[in-house]
Amino acid sequence: MTALHSLSFSQVSSGGPGGDAPPASPSAQAPDRPDPFDKLPGEFMMWVLIVSELLVFGAGLVAFLALRITDPTGFAEAQSHLHRVGAGINTIALVTSGWLAALAVQAVEAGRIARMRTLLAPAAALGMVFLVLKASEYADLAAAGISFETHAFFTFHILLTGFHAAHVLAGIVLLALVGILARPRAVETGAAFWHMVDLVWVLLFPVVYLL
Amino acid sequence: MTVTRAWIILVGLSALSTLVAASGLDGRWLAAAVLPLAGLKGHVILNYYLQLALAPEIARGFSLVLGLFIALLIGLSILPSA
Repeated sequence: MTALHSLSFSQVSSGGPGGDAPPASPSAQAPDRPDPFDKLPGEFMMWVLIVSELLVFGAGLVAFLALRITDPTGFAEAQSHLHRVGAGINTIALVTSGWLAALAVQAVEAGRIARMRTLLAPAAALGMVFLVLKASEYADLAAAGISFETHAFFTFHILLTGFHAAHVLAGIVLLALVGILARPRAVETGAAFWHMVDLVWVLLFPVVYLL
Repeated sequence: MTVTRAWIILVGLSALSTLVAASGLDGRWLAAAVLPLAGLKGHVILNYYLQLALAPEIARGFSLVLGLFIALLIGLSILPSA
């Protein structure tokens, strides 16, 4: 108790190592609670980006399902033109890629740079597989004369999946860059972006392809 | 939980979603089965790939918002078949 009291007193009265800070306010005399944001892994700004991206995609998915209420039959017919199997394979490709990226973070934190690069390369390659399958779906839709304006379903489908595919492309570039930099903080941040891309897809896939 | 175990769970949940979708379920039942599985996948990615399990207070906040979002999606999916 005495030790605790003296610790609190010294913290409050000195205000830090210099001891010349102004007297603290009564609220500052309470023992410091750890800030939960201090425990956030990776860069704080990457979390701001992740939350903003989730909000954008989340709003898009809500708008998609709200519009579907007005024309469920048209949406179901339009959905039948999509590559469901390819989208399912893409889900496995992204979650596996995310796993490799998470292992790469562990490797770079252990100082194993070569292993980190060996893990990030297939992670990025699986991202390329995702893009190839997605491009094949777009090509088949175009060949069937289906465009952005054919039906509201396709407007949302192309907007949501196209915006997501752009993030996959950006993520591949980011993984390559952080693999070259080989700094733990950079790899952690690059992997966090990649996991966000993964997270968006696991929410987007059932809404656009299955329901 | 290790990231490898998280990956195995994600692959398992994805396979389960595919099975449910291929089972012939449609309308409200498909939404009620598939969307919670998507929410679970999101939970695993947030906690074990993005390591939010290290920040439990923030993880709880994300889980709450994700749960509400999935509930909203289920509600919107059920409306056309109601």
